[in-house]
Amino acid sequence: MSFSTLLLLIFAFSLCSFFFSSSSAFKKIKSATSRPSALPKHYGQYSLAWTLFPAFLLLIVFTIIGPIYVDNFFKQQIALTEASYDKAKIELVLAMIKNISNGSISSDEPKILKLAEEYSNYLSKIYLFRTLSVLLLSSILGIIISSNINILKNSRVKVETFYRILFFVSAVIAIFTTVGIIASLLYESLRFFALYPFFDFLFGLHWAPNIAIRSDQVAAQGSFGMLPVLIGTILVALIAMIVALPIGLFSAIYLAEFASKRVRDIIKPTLEVLAGIPTVVYGYFAALTAAPFIRKIGMTLGLDVSSESALAAGAVMGIMIIPFISSLSDDIINSVPQSLRDGSLGLGATKAETTIKVVLPAAFPGLVGAFLLAVSRAIGETMIVVMAAGLSANLTINPLETVTTVTVQIVSLLTGDTEFDDIKTLSAFGLGLALFAFTLILNVIALVVSRRLSEQYD
Amino acid sequence: MVDKINNLKFKTKNVSVFYGSKQAINKISLDIEEKQITALIGPSGCGKSTFLRCLNRMNDVISNCSVNGKILLDGNNIYSDEIDPVLLRAKVGMVFQKPNPFPKSIFENIAYGPRIHGIGNNRAELTDLVHHSLEQAGLIDEVKDRLDDIATGLSGGQQQRICIARAIAVNPDVILMDEPCSALDPIATAKIEELMSSLSKSYTIIIVTHSMQQAGRVSQKTAFFHMGDLIEYGETPKIFTQPDQQKTQDYITGRFG
Repeated sequence: MSFSTLLLLIFAFSLCSFFFSSSSAFKKIKSATSRPSALPKHYGQYSLAWTLFPAFLLLIVFTIIGPIYVDNFFKQQIALTEASYDKAKIELVLAMIKNISNGSISSDEPKILKLAEEYSNYLSKIYLFRTLSVLLLSSILGIIISSNINILKNSRVKVETFYRILFFVSAVIAIFTTVGIIASLLYESLRFFALYPFFDFLFGLHWAPNIAIRSDQVAAQGSFGMLPVLIGTILVALIAMIVALPIGLFSAIYLAEFASKRVRDIIKPTLEVLAGIPTVVYGYFAALTAAPFIRKIGMTLGLDVSSESALAAGAVMGIMIIPFISSLSDDIINSVPQSLRDGSLGLGATKAETTIKVVLPAAFPGLVGAFLLAVSRAIGETMIVVMAAGLSANLTINPLETVTTVTVQIVSLLTGDTEFDDIKTLSAFGLGLALFAFTLILNVIALVVSRRLSEQYD
Repeated sequence: MVDKINNLKFKTKNVSVFYGSKQAINKISLDIEEKQITALIGPSGCGKSTFLRCLNRMNDVISNCSVNGKILLDGNNIYSDEIDPVLLRAKVGMVFQKPNPFPKSIFENIAYGPRIHGIGNNRAELTDLVHHSLEQAGLIDEVKDRLDDIATGLSGGQQQRICIARAIAVNPDVILMDEPCSALDPIATAKIEELMSSLSKSYTIIIVTHSMQQAGRVSQKTAFFHMGDLIEYGETPKIFTQPDQQKTQDYITGRFG
């Protein structure tokens, strides 16, 4: 029986046990003389949990462990029959067996065919065992629990435990996923650093991962100094923040302190529309509208502006971040107590004086946190820079020149036909790790700064 | 007993306040004497705080609030177009129910108002002013060695006296106090009351209070508000011993409110 059918079945079992238990508890409570410790639904939930979760866990374990076990078993079999095979050859034969057994290829070698048949027999036995044990566990537990409802026992407390475990497991899954992502990133990066020296990567001034067409070409070995790419990233993010910070912050101040309710009701949703535009659309805008516009202005001023400039990409990215900064800042400014404003106004300060000298200082820790979050976003942003910033890694801080960013390089290194053990491909993971480390440091600083400053103001 | 004749500071005529379409106070006419303490008492929601906030136009901050009638400060209508509410508030300071010192140092809290109004041109003058204000607020001995500490770290009573010192520092004529002791313990309350009495020599003080004992202890005149109306206004001893109105009698004897 397939995974989803089994899952549906144990769901159905648990629903049955829920209704059976709750109705049986209901009857017992009705005829009881003393006051029961829990409601019928708690007994229902209790038996539902016992019918569902252990069987579900067993199902998961079988589904993950089963095939691994079978594979290992057959590897041993192959090694026994063909003693001359090495590890890679065994893997190959196993893959062949698997493909034959699920019918995607065929073979005329009788030995292999026999193994393939054995393989599929063995696997179906495992699955049959899975089906039987899961259904048995679910139904036995369901029947035992729901036929032994004891209303003197407080199942409300036990259900509470189940909820707690459920929430805990969800939290742990989120953490494990993060750990898994970091681990895979680290693993691939280590492969890269085995091929390319770490410090050359970190402090190298030349980035040229030339993609060779043939592996014996002269340009096959690229140069992987990440500084130009990192500087490009920082330059674009800096331009974005120069655009987004004042506009976002000031619009938030206007909305929070000065705007009447009616104006606020118009401007706030409009800003939120800006936040809803897909980044790819911002990318068009940067490449097709902003970049030519900046180039034209540059030409009239006699400046040499490249057609893909850091300025265009950064400015459009800034516009994208405005609603992010503005809505975060708006919330932070609004959370400053009204009593502080009253105190300042009561002393004869104007609204602007009150905002600048009292409200903003009180909101400062939160604003720093919001600002650094926005910087992390700017650094990690990909689509706009892919479309508008360009590919050539210039080591420059001139915003009118074309630069490239970490994210752009990762995209260009990993798209298309690439070999996954090639140094060029692996360098993308090195860049990914660097980017991750950079934004992580920023986030930690944001956390520490806002915590320290808010301690001071409490 | 002969009534002492004092100069009038505030003269209000038919003041009504609306929040949207809801009327908060109804045609209040009340004259407030200079360098006296006037107490406004009455049950919750009777409009006494609303009336107080009219006197320095703090109601302007509330968006749907409208004020009718005349309020004269030293003979000038404070709701006329020529009056700048910002300057008015420098003249008529306010102390709020909950102590609300700014999250800055003690010094900066007191220096805030003077800086805004350009009083105290150099550091020395400003320091003098801060010390003088703290002295008037009876706080100087407690904080003179830690003027650079954050004011929000002080005790509630000290915070409230910081707020009073902050109001004094801009040299106002009038200090409005909106239940200044309701968040304080009895000892801190006693200190604030003592402070009010000494301040009334140089300032006109108007206090809103829930505590009738407090009104009786500190004020020379008392106004009793009920449901947005001014029921009775007169010398404090008279209000508390032989009020003219039955409602006042009921309130001060604790029959309602």
